[in-house]
Amino acid sequence: MKLTTALSALALLAATPAAFAADIPEGTVLSENQTYTFWLLDAIKSMDPQINTDVEGSDIVRNLFEGLYNEDAKGDLIPGVALSHDLSDDGLTYTFHLRPEAKWSDGKAVTAGDFVYAWQRLADPATASEYAWYMELMQVVNASKITAGELPPSDLGVKAIDDHTLEVTIETPLPYFPQMLVHGSTFPVRQDVLEEFGSDWTKPENMVSNGAYTLSEHILGERVEMDKSATYWDADKTVMTHLTALTINDNNQALTRYLAGELDRVQIPAGQYPRLKAEYPDEATSLPYSCSYIYNMNLSDKGPEALKDVRVRKALSYAMNRDIVVDNILQGGQRASYNWTHWATAGFVMPDIEYSHWTQEERTAKAKELLAEAGYGPDNPLDLTLNYNTDESHKKIAIAAQQFYRPLGINLTLNNMEWKVHTDRMQNQDFDLARYAWCGDYNEASTYLDFFTSYSGHNNGEFFNDDYDAIMKESKTAADPQPLYTQAEQILATEMPFVPIYHYAKVDMIASDIKGLPTENVMQTWYGKDLYRVAE
Amino acid sequence: MKFPRPPIGTPHMIVYILKRLAIAIPTLLLLIIFSFLLMHAAPGGPFTQERELPAQVLANLNAKYGLDQPLWKQIVSYIWGIVAHFDFGPSFVYKDRTVNEIIAQGFPVTLTYGFVSFLVAVVAGVTLGAVAAVKHNTIIDYFAVGVSIGAQVLPNFVMAPILVIVFTLILGWLPGGGWRFSDPSYWIMPVIALSTSYMASIARIMRSSMLEVLNSNHIRTARAKGLPAHRVILRHALKPALLPVISYLGPAFVSMITGSVIVDIYFSTGGIGKAFVDSALNRDYAVMMGVTILVGALTILFNLVVDIVYGWIDPKIRY
Repeated sequence: MKLTTALSALALLAATPAAFAADIPEGTVLSENQTYTFWLLDAIKSMDPQINTDVEGSDIVRNLFEGLYNEDAKGDLIPGVALSHDLSDDGLTYTFHLRPEAKWSDGKAVTAGDFVYAWQRLADPATASEYAWYMELMQVVNASKITAGELPPSDLGVKAIDDHTLEVTIETPLPYFPQMLVHGSTFPVRQDVLEEFGSDWTKPENMVSNGAYTLSEHILGERVEMDKSATYWDADKTVMTHLTALTINDNNQALTRYLAGELDRVQIPAGQYPRLKAEYPDEATSLPYSCSYIYNMNLSDKGPEALKDVRVRKALSYAMNRDIVVDNILQGGQRASYNWTHWATAGFVMPDIEYSHWTQEERTAKAKELLAEAGYGPDNPLDLTLNYNTDESHKKIAIAAQQFYRPLGINLTLNNMEWKVHTDRMQNQDFDLARYAWCGDYNEASTYLDFFTSYSGHNNGEFFNDDYDAIMKESKTAADPQPLYTQAEQILATEMPFVPIYHYAKVDMIASDIKGLPTENVMQTWYGKDLYRVAE
Repeated sequence: MKFPRPPIGTPHMIVYILKRLAIAIPTLLLLIIFSFLLMHAAPGGPFTQERELPAQVLANLNAKYGLDQPLWKQIVSYIWGIVAHFDFGPSFVYKDRTVNEIIAQGFPVTLTYGFVSFLVAVVAGVTLGAVAAVKHNTIIDYFAVGVSIGAQVLPNFVMAPILVIVFTLILGWLPGGGWRFSDPSYWIMPVIALSTSYMASIARIMRSSMLEVLNSNHIRTARAKGLPAHRVILRHALKPALLPVISYLGPAFVSMITGSVIVDIYFSTGGIGKAFVDSALNRDYAVMMGVTILVGALTILFNLVVDIVYGWIDPKIRY
């Protein structure tokens, strides 16, 4: 039996097709000016879906190209180029039914072959994509061997049954596989265009794309201009006619320009949210955002002996006064965290972590006790260094941590370094404590929890735990992985290989006449096609 | 270094220029080699990122950009690319751009606002300094000194945000940033932010040099001959007083036209100054080298120009 699944969300949507593109309530009066200007902190490194690695680049790629599925304002999947899919009984073969009316900006139809080409290209080591691992993460058959150069790209588990039917085979059942398809690196590209122009294909005059917008101008480090695409399948319902992205390297300067009306959306610099919320209650917003901020600990052989003692690790975590960090330093609606996975991640049930219920006094007292047991205290201080990359908030939090730890007899030496050096030190296990933040690649807890498996590529602190690995492996095939995720979090709370500090919020000023941005999507994925500006 | 005696009849100036250009080549080579080595000595590389790359991908990236070669080979092929094709290579980070394209986009921007800033700084600075010296110890002098000290102590990273708050947010006269060649309203704030501290330096140098010249013998003679004050100042005092200013202007001109990272950051001009700093942080070796060579070559060139202008202004200097 073949399941004509689609996700429940998709089934629902099939009955209410009104939710595609801009979903405008009845009686809304639209502004004559349907342009949207948003902020970029840095120059866009690439607009090539398979080459881009940045969050900001993804915001551009998502408007120029369209993958199999999109997300709605709540983060649920809605059809993109794919209308629906079937899943085989063994959970390994997905058959996607593509929308016949989907078109490229030069009028040609978007075909299954375009996806096959793009996916093979992503995995192909010759492309040298820094996101090649994503195909592996998606468990597409042979992806890891292709990326390792052991098999040709044509062996990838993806094929075009016909122009509008795409078949993907994966190695193990992956309940969240469809969620992973909203990621830009899986978006289609055109083989003939790439072959004609090479790396110049992303220049405005050469680019052929299949999204709701086409690229009209890109001045590196200054601006990106995008016009509504006339060939996009849902162009009739796309209200916003033009998108502009302005690069402004200084957040405060960007805020001033927002206040002067030059931008429709900008991030609020740390610490300014309360003031702006009081002054502009309709514009200052704070929404949960899928990233988790920690001090990672080096448990490897190269790390300090003291951190191999779980009592010391717990003491470091207990003594961290998170309320001061979120309420007095960041002040932007971030949440104190005592675990790893972001609290608002879809389907994730926050485990009942014991120390999260204690008062800070209780935690600090316990920390002192544990340190004393481990042989440290004001009389026999513990010297540790904390590495952090250059950033005003990281610095403030680090200074606060220094103060939290000092009374316990922990001397924290702060070590500020630029990002590349910080990353290099972490990857070479050349640190004691290191500031780190992880942002989810997709909206499911495994994007966080896989991080601390012994076989993960990012576990720089080298926390190795067999039980943890076993649970995470089991979660991949479990009908309901959530209880396993809870267990995994409990292991982290017991072993404490890092100091959880806070869960991110997206703290932005958004022009009050702009509607259609995500409301409950912790990934904060937004699409220009869903936006509209109301008349004021 | 010894140079053959120029054939009789060759103007000395041309020989001098040729000699200086000949020295410029080894200087640039040394600059390239040292920058190359320093750059590679910094921890991390262009492909260092949070997720360590699969070995095969990293190997391919390194092969694509020649980073798998020994360092000396990389330097040689890099220099050969420049000499033979004027090709500074592809950016390691902006993967659809070459270094030539990045410089071709950013340099005209910084050249424009830098050159205008230079003119403003020179004209305003020289005028302010000269007037202050001539009206020594009067209210005008105090005012001019006050202005130049004020301009000097107000760093451009403080001034830039203030300018945007005043002219964009409060008055709404000027765009708060960005760049348009066709619309000089985009140029105004970058020029103010960049020119003020140079103007202040020029004014101070000009004032003290002018004061010295005004006390010298040939001015006393000119005055004694009964020349009118404006002729004494314009014909006899201004030119020699400019000498120290000119030696300051060579390097100042280069640093102005190659952009200021502060101006680029605060006014989002897309200029080369920011690209340079980004390339260092991103370990974008090719862009870093390209801009270093550009700045190095311009510095050498304008030091030469300054020396030539010297000879023209000061009859005492001979080549």
